[in-house]
Amino acid sequence: MNLKHEVLLIEDERNICNFIMTTLRTQDYKVNFAGNARNGLSLAASACPDLILLDLGLPDMDGLEVIRNIREWSNVPIIVISARTQEQEKVEALDAGADDYITKPFGTSELMARIRTALRRSNINGSVPMPVENRYEAKNLVIDYEKHLVTVNGNIIHFTQIEYKILTFLARNAGKVITYDTLITHVWGPFADSNNRILRVNMANIRRKMEQNPADPQYIFTEIGIGYRMIDNENL
Amino acid sequence: MSTAMKNCVVTLSGLIVATLFAFLFSHYVPENSGNISLIYILALITIVRFTDGYLPGLISSVVAVICVNFLFTYPYYELNFTLSGYPITFLEMLGVTLLTSTMTANIKEQAHMIAEKDKLLSETEKEKMRANLLRAVSHDLRTPLTGIIGASSSYLENKDLLPEEEKVAILTHIHEDANWLLNMVENLLAVTRIHDRSSTVKKTDESVEEIVSAAIMRLKKRIPEASVNVSVPDELLIIPMDAILIEQVLINLLENAIIHSQSQDPILCYVDTDDANVAFHVKDYGIGIDPERLKNIFDGNSYIGNKESDSNKGMGIGLSICKTILTAHGGTISARNHPLGAEFYFTLPKHP
Repeated sequence: MNLKHEVLLIEDERNICNFIMTTLRTQDYKVNFAGNARNGLSLAASACPDLILLDLGLPDMDGLEVIRNIREWSNVPIIVISARTQEQEKVEALDAGADDYITKPFGTSELMARIRTALRRSNINGSVPMPVENRYEAKNLVIDYEKHLVTVNGNIIHFTQIEYKILTFLARNAGKVITYDTLITHVWGPFADSNNRILRVNMANIRRKMEQNPADPQYIFTEIGIGYRMIDNENL
Repeated sequence: MSTAMKNCVVTLSGLIVATLFAFLFSHYVPENSGNISLIYILALITIVRFTDGYLPGLISSVVAVICVNFLFTYPYYELNFTLSGYPITFLEMLGVTLLTSTMTANIKEQAHMIAEKDKLLSETEKEKMRANLLRAVSHDLRTPLTGIIGASSSYLENKDLLPEEEKVAILTHIHEDANWLLNMVENLLAVTRIHDRSSTVKKTDESVEEIVSAAIMRLKKRIPEASVNVSVPDELLIIPMDAILIEQVLINLLENAIIHSQSQDPILCYVDTDDANVAFHVKDYGIGIDPERLKNIFDGNSYIGNKESDSNKGMGIGLSICKTILTAHGGTISARNHPLGAEFYFTLPKHP
């Protein structure tokens, strides 16, 4: 990689800023920093970052506003930084167009993993031509999209149509959290009942088919109050 | 409705009802006119009881005296103040009214005072609880903070002299203490999700296995070397709860089991269910719990004044918060020793 990725950090807490900037610089990223939403927005426009890290609790503007504003003109990946107990806030941020979130406090490895996932996704969807994903692989799980085939440890697993739809949607967005509503809309259509009980039932069935222990899953993780996240695709 | 309006309505209706009764009475039992006055006196007492101040009672008594005179004593339908004994009747009724007015006013005032006193009492009680909680929290926060401040300042002052491995040790120590602080704060924040007034939580239908797996995942993130055997029933259980809070309870119990059991054996975490409840169990294979502590282990302040409190920091707060969370859910939490260690378990009702 000869080009450094450029990250814009919009965060008002000086200490958190310092820690994130140090971390990112040691990992060979170029970091710009804005202490409030106004500067953040103008930097987002002028510096053209590859990724934006956005704290939702900014002093001068609601974080959701910032996301909507950026989404009006750019598809740059946005990772939201938020506190743990605010599930509603996270869901709203994701619905407003954020790509992912990370919960305060977070470790370096978690932050780097999120950033890598987001950057890779933006490369797939963005201008850089990449081979189309036709295969998902993680640990012992393989999904062959073309053959409609799912195997764990080489054993074929049969899913219902709905289950397969859920699984592949999560797999194609692997590493990224998918909200209940997004998943329901994708699988059952925009007019589906937003009651997620049916989703839970399907998810329980999927887990019973492919996880060794549904209470300690290896592939699909629950983000309580928000949605599901599938383990990263190792094939990319 | 304003007090004056209420007084008017009560007074008027009381008098009308009494007059109607008196009419019926004098119609069917014309020979015993003494009862008429008694009916009015009863009405007077009732009016005084249900109105505020002296005025309604006074007016009613005057009206009653006039009514008795005008309607029910010979000559009917005209006022006759020369009737023998009339002043006595008048004075009697006035006396009864005044007396009952004073008495009910007194009673009302007393009831009011008692209510005030109760409120004051429960408020001081609350204040005391708050103070206790704050004391416990500050005590718990001070220990790791002291560690962090001490370790970091010793690093800053001696960073050129310290060998590499000592630097790592100091930083590890800071990291551990900070994580512990975070856990504490998350517990305290959890409590703020419970509504003050009604002590209830916002419940949504959640899948039990997802809560368990999320708790295990967060635990492993915090304590990577944690070893837990976890199992859930084959049947999918969906029950109403505040998922974040129940996850917090599970994490607290699991973390306690890892830190306090003093054993490397894997912890067992499993879920079982009967008709009405779902029970979550966290079982360790360690040293067990002192039977003396077991009695009030969920009280939170059981460890205040305990000399060892610094060594088992904060277990009390975490467990008392678990108890608060379960109570708000209409569930229960208990602890017991089994032959090979300790077990904590809590139940949640399947139906709201």
